Amino acid sequence: MPKSQYVDPGKVFQPGYAEFEKIPLCTYNKTIKDEKANYSKADFLRIYHDMRTIREFETMLNEIKVKSEYRGVEYHNPGPAHLSIGQEASAVGQAYCLDINDFTFGSHRSHGEILAKGLSSINKLTDDELYSIMKEFLGGVILGVVEKNFKTDSVKELAKDFLLYGALAEIFARKTGFNRGLGGSMHAFFIPFGIFPNNAIVGGSAPIALGAALYKRSNGKPGIVVANSGDGALGRGPVLESLNFAAMDQITKLWGMDGKYSDKGMPILFNVFNNFYGMGGQTMGETMGYGNPARLAAGFSPTQLHAEKVNGYDPLAVIEATTRKRDLLLRGEGPALLEVATYRVSGHSPSDSSTYRTAEEIEAWREACPIKAYREKLVKARVATNAEFDAIDEAIIERMTSVIKLAINDEISPRMDLSKEPDMISSIMFSNRHVKSMDETRTPETLIPKEENPRVKQIAGKSRFAFDAEGKPVPKMKVFGIRDGIFEAILDKFYEDPTTIAYGEDNRDWGGAFAVYRGLTEALPYHRFFNAPISESAIVGSSVGYAMAGGRAIVELMYADFIGCAGDEIFNQLSKWQSMSAGILKMPVVLRVSVGSKYGAQHSQDWTALTAHIPGLKVCFPATPYDAKGLMNQALNGTDPVVFFESQRIYDMGEQFHEGGVPTDYYEVDFGDPDVKREGKDVTILSIGAVLYRALDAAKILEEKYGVSAEIIDARSIVPFNYEKVIESVKKTGKIIIVGDAVDRNSVMRDMASNIAEMAFDYLDAPPVVFGSRNWITPAFELEKYYFPQAEGIVDVISEKLLPLPGRVPTYNETEIEHIERSAHGV
Amino acid sequence: MANLVIMPRQGQSVESCIITAWQKKVGDAVKEGDILFSYETDKSAFDEPAQTSGVLLHTFAAEGDVVDCLAPVCIIGNEGEDISALLAGTSANAEKPAGAPASGEPAKAAPAEEKEVAPAAAPEATASEGGRLFISPRAKNLALRTGVDMTAVTPTGPHGRIIERDVNAALDAGKVGTTAAVEDFLRGIVPEKREEEAVSAAPAAAPAAAADTYAYEEIPMSNVRRVIAKSMHASLSEMAQLTLNAAFDATRLLAYRKLLKEKGEEMGLSKVTINDMILFAVGRILPKFPDINANLVDGKLRRFAHANVGCAVDTDRGLLVPVVTCAEKKTLAEVSADAKRLAAGAREGRLSPDEMSGGSFTVTNLGSLGVESFTPVINPPQTAILGVCCTVNRLRADGTVYPAMGLSLTFDHRAVDGAPAAKFLKELATALESFDLLLAK
Repeated sequence: MPKSQYVDPGKVFQPGYAEFEKIPLCTYNKTIKDEKANYSKADFLRIYHDMRTIREFETMLNEIKVKSEYRGVEYHNPGPAHLSIGQEASAVGQAYCLDINDFTFGSHRSHGEILAKGLSSINKLTDDELYSIMKEFLGGVILGVVEKNFKTDSVKELAKDFLLYGALAEIFARKTGFNRGLGGSMHAFFIPFGIFPNNAIVGGSAPIALGAALYKRSNGKPGIVVANSGDGALGRGPVLESLNFAAMDQITKLWGMDGKYSDKGMPILFNVFNNFYGMGGQTMGETMGYGNPARLAAGFSPTQLHAEKVNGYDPLAVIEATTRKRDLLLRGEGPALLEVATYRVSGHSPSDSSTYRTAEEIEAWREACPIKAYREKLVKARVATNAEFDAIDEAIIERMTSVIKLAINDEISPRMDLSKEPDMISSIMFSNRHVKSMDETRTPETLIPKEENPRVKQIAGKSRFAFDAEGKPVPKMKVFGIRDGIFEAILDKFYEDPTTIAYGEDNRDWGGAFAVYRGLTEALPYHRFFNAPISESAIVGSSVGYAMAGGRAIVELMYADFIGCAGDEIFNQLSKWQSMSAGILKMPVVLRVSVGSKYGAQHSQDWTALTAHIPGLKVCFPATPYDAKGLMNQALNGTDPVVFFESQRIYDMGEQFHEGGVPTDYYEVDFGDPDVKREGKDVTILSIGAVLYRALDAAKILEEKYGVSAEIIDARSIVPFNYEKVIESVKKTGKIIIVGDAVDRNSVMRDMASNIAEMAFDYLDAPPVVFGSRNWITPAFELEKYYFPQAEGIVDVISEKLLPLPGRVPTYNETEIEHIERSAHGV
Repeated sequence: MANLVIMPRQGQSVESCIITAWQKKVGDAVKEGDILFSYETDKSAFDEPAQTSGVLLHTFAAEGDVVDCLAPVCIIGNEGEDISALLAGTSANAEKPAGAPASGEPAKAAPAEEKEVAPAAAPEATASEGGRLFISPRAKNLALRTGVDMTAVTPTGPHGRIIERDVNAALDAGKVGTTAAVEDFLRGIVPEKREEEAVSAAPAAAPAAAADTYAYEEIPMSNVRRVIAKSMHASLSEMAQLTLNAAFDATRLLAYRKLLKEKGEEMGLSKVTINDMILFAVGRILPKFPDINANLVDGKLRRFAHANVGCAVDTDRGLLVPVVTCAEKKTLAEVSADAKRLAAGAREGRLSPDEMSGGSFTVTNLGSLGVESFTPVINPPQTAILGVCCTVNRLRADGTVYPAMGLSLTFDHRAVDGAPAAKFLKELATALESFDLLLAK
């Protein structure tokens, strides 16, 4: 909502027509003779070689899947093999013109894309660069295997063995694979060659690739990003969100800030391998209505994303089109979309019996084989003889046979031995690094010195402790609140790490819906701080790609309830890439989510349980300004994905616990370390999030009315969580109630109660009990006291289930019978 | 109209009884006078007859359950009668009826919206239900560590669970027993579990041995046994006991006994035993020794006005000590009759607790079993106990033989010194030697 752009009622309603340009369809019509000017014989043959290598690689995988045997080598592979036999020209044509600085992101049918980009990069890198990449990768483990078993003097030939072996060992889940076997067929990649992950989630790569492009765009890095997907992925929201996000006006209209910064478009090519089937559903004619994937691009921006369709069975046509797209992206005219029409003659997977297409159709495409056609054209144009091609074929088959023998050898290519090294996977679930700046070579781009920031000045006048010298509460307007703590940590990071960016809905100008970001607009240029479209998938997904590419991102979902809109991006992407890459990738992303109140059923939910359930995410929910700033500092200084829960109830809450108030200087609060907010001896209250203050009220009632002394522990973070302090407290009190605003069923509270029961059973005077919200929708604000746990309810539950309080007349019915009854009804 | 049957109070010191058997099942027709259930106190067994006729509609406790005196045990009424009012009125005592039909489920707690919300339920008086003891792991550990007197622990936790504060309350009140007693208590209430452990532990420990080599049967201590154990252990651990042994010439005593046996039938004296005669003698001598005819309680000596002589009786359920009251005034015939009645009552478990309390001194007799001398253990809080031994033949100085009967007097040195105790023993021996003269006094 920039003020510079006036929404003029006089213009909005002007009559006229939206106009579209023609979208070119397979307009390439050059002959080999024409192309001899652009390609040497070696180039022509290299294209053949690369296509043929991919064909052989996938033929080998298919044979292994179907017959458990390839050229006399027997092996059984239980893992997936989504092959793309028939699509080789599309992959090789694309990779041929990409530079080492250009990144590719794959679909879940990406063996061909990976090998094509790998072979292209091998060709483009110098021997020295190649060798040093191989030597440094995973400590030279893969190179060691390859050097020992393949005798060659050529670094490039060695690198081809390295590529094929690393990819195949990965597919076969070997420790010597590119990702130690943790990624597998659908998640293989090799960053040093610019090969970024492919993705088992259809369309999953689009927002991630967008994020990598954003990294290049915001940090002035060279090269483009190619987001590969199939035609089936065009039905997915995250892909459509990413197309829109990449094409948003502000990148070219606002980010330049009157010539101060770059106003280039997003350097991303959405490359659609249109093979006409999303598994079995036929896109054109059955499951989509777009006529052509290329047509889809026309609506996203007046540039129509420079969309066109190209013949994916002709490598030279693909090269020609991709080169043009790449050039315009480098000129700053992105984003672009290219439809590469192709066909897979292999099934979706080896179990595919092709019930959705005819044998004639498959046969016709087999006949049109891009490799065969290309070879015939080259022979005909006298570029090379059949004998030369046969020799290439033979060498490839020989290489492939050697590679598979090596990859299935359990001694040379062992799997992870989790009996000998049981912590192998545990140790890579988080990277746990402390990195102040992701790029120390650059100075962060900011608009004003930090101390001139209006928000910084405003905060300077605030009390950093909730009570004055006489112990009286400082008025809300004058106290340093949680929102200030979060702001301070983030602002500091913006002035320390040049790669740090923040975006989300209504972040710029508005300052975030809850004013956490007030003051950032003045401090930061657009390309570091901007408003995202209402596209939660693209917001979170792009942060994943941004981090993969080397940056640090702070993204925001205005309400925790929108986690569902970014489900795959949080649950499958943000959480898993560090470990699926065997620790090669880092994921310094802080995802801020705000838990609402007063806003009813879809805007008031504490969904900590959903995120805590997913391995690979750190989750915290601070409830005080000191903890909020300290945890945010540690989150921003780390390299792991953090879901940072905030509560809208307490953004203005002052610091009541930390002596001396919230420090102005840098400090960290450790993830995993719960904090005793009030000491007591009779009963422990473990609180998660904003309920802390209701727990304090409950403790007061317990003390004053019943002489019961409650100890309150604030969980602060949920993943990781060190139970030691809690158990220590339970040893003292024997009784614990876990409270939080999440609905009771399957909550983090339930998980904690179960763990505490196991860990401290012998010290317990009663089972650990949980008091969360009812298993309902969140009702209107006026009815919330019947839904969210209140102080009196906490006392009731303690009296009912832990320590009967003499004379207690309960307000809430929290009896066991009631609990059974509610469960029986699913509420 | 349905009637609540309550657990009778058998004696002032009895707080609860254990239901040993149900003679009627829920649904059975009951006639007035039919035995409903059998129960026992620490010391006695009773049958409870029905006061009204009808159908047994509901039971509040199962066999093996401990029920407070005056607490409801069952309901008798007409078939199909609505007993919810009676159940609601008693819900605090027993949430879940043992073996009762579903119709007897307690009413669901009132929903929060209703104004009338009952105050936190009064703590249940018992922590056991269906024979199970409800005690938190923490309270259990504390009990074992401190050796609290579990019988003095009143549960106040949810559902009548014993929680830490209950054990602490008993400890604060000075109710301390022994760790062993706590273990026994816990084991006694949960016998099934221990048996499982015993059965499974043996073969696992020695798989090679024959299955029954180390097999044993574990019998939970009965209430009586537990009381004896507690009392005897307390006796030995808390008193300064020592035993004096002496013997007397029993010639005239035995001669008099013979006379009674032969000639006393008409007077009803033929069944007088040696033990009766000793009780009689003790009754006559005790009043002269007020520190021995006494109880030592909380640092104070209670000297009794009468000689209330307990006589130890061996029964199937263990040692019981009924009391012959005012023995100093009773004739030999009266003492003998009392002792017989009490012994028979004890063996049959028919004595009231009041008949087994209030003793000022105890006589225990192992003479018939050939014991020559022993150290009887004082029955607290008494200050002494007399053990009667068998007779052995001894030589007089002139070479003649006489029957010498042994007496073992254990006394609490805290209450009595050695000299007065020896004097008592000496006087008793002298009196027994001239038993016929004693009768004349």
